Amino acid sequence: MGKSSVFAICLILLVGLFSFAQEDSSVSKNRSSQSGGSASAVTANESFDFDQRVAPILKQFCGKCHGQGDDLASDINLLELTTKNLDQHSELLQQVIDVLDLDEMPPSDEPQLDSAVRENLIKELRLMLHKQVERKKLFPRAPIRRMNRFQYNNAVVDLFQLKCIVFTLPERMMRDHNRYFRPETGKMPDVVTVGSRPLGKSQMIEPRLAGVAAFPQDLRAENGYDNQGDHLSMSPLLMESFLRLGQSITQSPDFHAKKVGIWQSFFRPPKDVSNLSQVVEDRLKPFLTKAFRRSPEPETVQRYVRYVMARLDSGEPFETAMKEVAAATLASPKFLYLYDISGSEDVSEPIDEFELASRLSFFLWGSVPDQELLLLAKSKQLTDPNVLSQQVDRMLKDRKLKRFCDSFPAQWLQLERIISSSPARDRFPKFYFSKYKTSMHMMLEPLLLFETVLIEDLPVTQLVDSEFTYRSVKLDKAYGELATGKLDGKKKGNDVQQLFFHRLPITDRRNGGVITNAAIMTMTSGPDRSKPITRGAWVAGVIFNNPPEPPPADVPSLEENPPEDEAQLTLRERLDAHRQRADCKGCHEKIDPLGFALENFDAIGNWRDEYANDRKVDMQGELFRKHEFNDVVEFKDAILNEKLRFTRGLAAHLLSFGLARALGPADQFALDEIVEQTAEDDYKMKTLIKQIVLSEPFLRR
Amino acid sequence: MRSPTRRKFLFGLGGTFLALPWLESVASAACARQAVAQRMAHFYVPIGVVRRGFFPGESKHVIPKGNLGNVMKSLGKQNPKLSVNPLEELTPTMEPLSEFKQKINLITGMDRTFQQGTDVHAQCASCYLSSAPPNAIKGSAWPLDRTLDHLVADQIGTKTPFPTLEFSCNSHRDNKESIYFDNISWYGTGHLAPSIRDPRKMYHRLFSTKEIERYRDITDLVLADASDLKKTLSRSDRHKFAEYFDSIRSIEKQMDRLETMRSELAQVTFDEPPEAYLPRGEYIRLMGDLMVVALQAGLTNVTTFMVGPERWDTPYKFEGLFDKPRSHHQMSHNQTKMIDDLLKVDRFHMEQYAYLLKRMDAIEEADGTTLLDNTLFTYGSGLGDGSTHQYNDLPIIVAGGGKRVPGGKHINLPEGTPLANLWLTQAKMLGVSLDRFADSTGTVDQLMV
Repeated sequence: MGKSSVFAICLILLVGLFSFAQEDSSVSKNRSSQSGGSASAVTANESFDFDQRVAPILKQFCGKCHGQGDDLASDINLLELTTKNLDQHSELLQQVIDVLDLDEMPPSDEPQLDSAVRENLIKELRLMLHKQVERKKLFPRAPIRRMNRFQYNNAVVDLFQLKCIVFTLPERMMRDHNRYFRPETGKMPDVVTVGSRPLGKSQMIEPRLAGVAAFPQDLRAENGYDNQGDHLSMSPLLMESFLRLGQSITQSPDFHAKKVGIWQSFFRPPKDVSNLSQVVEDRLKPFLTKAFRRSPEPETVQRYVRYVMARLDSGEPFETAMKEVAAATLASPKFLYLYDISGSEDVSEPIDEFELASRLSFFLWGSVPDQELLLLAKSKQLTDPNVLSQQVDRMLKDRKLKRFCDSFPAQWLQLERIISSSPARDRFPKFYFSKYKTSMHMMLEPLLLFETVLIEDLPVTQLVDSEFTYRSVKLDKAYGELATGKLDGKKKGNDVQQLFFHRLPITDRRNGGVITNAAIMTMTSGPDRSKPITRGAWVAGVIFNNPPEPPPADVPSLEENPPEDEAQLTLRERLDAHRQRADCKGCHEKIDPLGFALENFDAIGNWRDEYANDRKVDMQGELFRKHEFNDVVEFKDAILNEKLRFTRGLAAHLLSFGLARALGPADQFALDEIVEQTAEDDYKMKTLIKQIVLSEPFLRR
Repeated sequence: MRSPTRRKFLFGLGGTFLALPWLESVASAACARQAVAQRMAHFYVPIGVVRRGFFPGESKHVIPKGNLGNVMKSLGKQNPKLSVNPLEELTPTMEPLSEFKQKINLITGMDRTFQQGTDVHAQCASCYLSSAPPNAIKGSAWPLDRTLDHLVADQIGTKTPFPTLEFSCNSHRDNKESIYFDNISWYGTGHLAPSIRDPRKMYHRLFSTKEIERYRDITDLVLADASDLKKTLSRSDRHKFAEYFDSIRSIEKQMDRLETMRSELAQVTFDEPPEAYLPRGEYIRLMGDLMVVALQAGLTNVTTFMVGPERWDTPYKFEGLFDKPRSHHQMSHNQTKMIDDLLKVDRFHMEQYAYLLKRMDAIEEADGTTLLDNTLFTYGSGLGDGSTHQYNDLPIIVAGGGKRVPGGKHINLPEGTPLANLWLTQAKMLGVSLDRFADSTGTVDQLMV
């Protein structure tokens, strides 16, 4: 409550100070209705005019590529922007602000803006956008979408309180073998026993319901998390799988009193059968509430009661009838789909309490809300910021948080990519052991780091430059020169099934954090060499949430082995020679330094000072054309210098994951606020998550 | 008898399994109900073709040197003017079709337009049968609309258990690429009609009616929930949520129609596909057999068949062609070195297409024509040549169509003719009343003379 009104006041002040001329009556109408009489401030100060003050600058500095001829760079035309049509171009405005802010544009070989002009321009554009956003307050909406496979599994487990999983999920990359994951303790153990998915299929096979086959794995959405709506659609084929799935779950031989937590309260035949329909109703009400994540309408309950009674009347045993209604519930759209209740499409409004409960639990638990959340929603207490904040604390200490750790970090880091990485055997023989790859140890390192930062509530900067890491004996050895060497004589475990990962202090800062670990370095390399552009794109997208646009078409890639006339060049020189197109420049100036910064790590993440041709690795560069670095430690320092930007990038990833949608301009100001609050609390991970939940886009639609 | 053996035995006889006695009863039953059904099938080949192996008169065509992914148009100059010539000696890649020369037409000169902003491979497949003009679909980076197969099924797929069936022979086991690389069939923007990759799953979908009967009671209950839910949704969500109603209703119809066909289907002698790994050629042909039997038995009138997904760099085995797993996509960008291997892949795909033509042409229908005669069966790719990512001059072969489509021609359309013209032509031939399809500018009338 307090937060949003402070926010609103700030806005009014800002608008008052920098209001822009725009003959748009809806502006003043809206604003006066919201803030009571500040409309006069808007009209009193009409000094700003886009056409007069911004357009000429854009024309002078950007017009050459983004405004003339048929050959618009990136298809962006900045000259068509005017005061009048600015409203329809919020996204573009945001893009312009971003490239100016990160000093990505104009490209370095074009005339540059004076830094004061640049700063001022950014400020003015931001305010202009802020005004637009405030007026419209339109957050992009996540479309209605079915649950993905991971969520379905979790929701079914929680609904029936199953003591096992429903089906095996290859989406999960790491298995916990010794119950190390105890967020309630606020501490990760020094040694954890884990397994990795590709090290043998049996790795991920846990006690599960026999006879249940999962529906097909959801394919990836383009540039997004696997919970995003645009690809989670329904087809007759899939609907059939869902119908079959519901039946096979409740009819599994493992679906019995010992494994189903709600057996006594739901499936067991009642002793007193005098008023059976009342019994059925009493049992269905809480069940449907949980399955549908809100109190069901009386008519809905009655419909389900009639369904059961019809079965009982036809002579079916009680248990069978209840199993059938449970299976039917799993096929109901009220269970299968995630959605926001409609409301106005033109203005933003708060979501209702039950929706908030669902958003929260799908964000942090990948599943339906529990009893406590639903009760708080029912009594309309959940939207109270204090209550909400307590609930986040509670949820972050619950072991169901493991589901968040099983979905977000691997997708954020794009770790899936390591599975198909195959460094050339002749060049990197030690990467392979018996029939396995060391990458299967590698991929666990960043995941364990993320879990520790979360459970122990460490600053998010630890993700860039950590004071510790988790490694197995095999993994530490694989690092070669970068090995901590602190694992000799420690319990080794085996290398394939149950891997012992030990917490090790980091003393050499070339190690530590999610960027320079062997998993990321390997998956951003080809079979024979590191790929700095791929690495740069990874850093830009993952660390700063600023992924490059896809290249115009598939741009030619370098030959793996240099032709004779290029044999003596460094990789950077070879790439320079190959990059002739001018329109590639803008993007590459942005991503290349981020990738070359990591050139000391070879295609399996080992340290090198020289290339195979004896040329010295040239990795020097500048971050955001601002912070010079001459080695990878300085590169990490440069990122830490920009820790607000890193935190903002991570916040944006989390918010996008939490809301199951891409972010829009209206979300940007919420991100500012989230980052500010997180920075004030020493960048703590849990604070960041809490601020996400308390932010406007999370609470409104 | 164990299934694999039996299947082999049937194949060994080269087409005879399609002429087993039950088929006549199916056919005559079908005949009693209605005239012979008209069908449409699409065979999609990923990553384009090597031009000099495929197109007549291009055997001396320049070999693309190095990676030319950003060229996006043909390197050589094609005849920009309309010409219709008899198909004479077939090019090496088309040679497997020689037996069917009189039942096929080669069409050259058709283009699609690329919309900036998405991956070139992803778009060439996912938008192949949609062909929407760039930026026609609001709020989407994809020019992707309801695809031809579904539009046609709205006309000729209303009485079959399955309005359409989607087949895919994607051998990849990783989840590397997004849905756009692996699907050519879409109900609409963002609404995928998922394909089945596993022959066993397809078999069960086609032939096991028992399982889904239990769902009848459930569908009433959940449809009532769906109606409640719909009332609470915003307009755009309602639009998307229609997918749920559509799905449930499709399943209900499917159950009803399978029910009426039960006795006929019981006579189908198609053995359950084995669980074991199949070499690539066998895998494709088994999926193809399932497609042919589905068309023949009246389970559907409209199918799409993706012989492989776009891009997807991960190498996989092409048994009989190469010793080691290979990546079709990586080869495509290195024609200088790998042109011979690529030509092998192109020819291999053509052999599978030829196999299916042979199957379909061996099936006699009630009126004495063949299944092929009653099917418009199109071979095509979303890229003219994988090495340059060209969206122009796509390789297209239309087989079948019987008397209405005299074969044996090479139709070279004027430069820049939209691919949508062919889709419009096919839609019209199958009875859809449409004046325009996507960015079409007319019909390919040369096909019918």
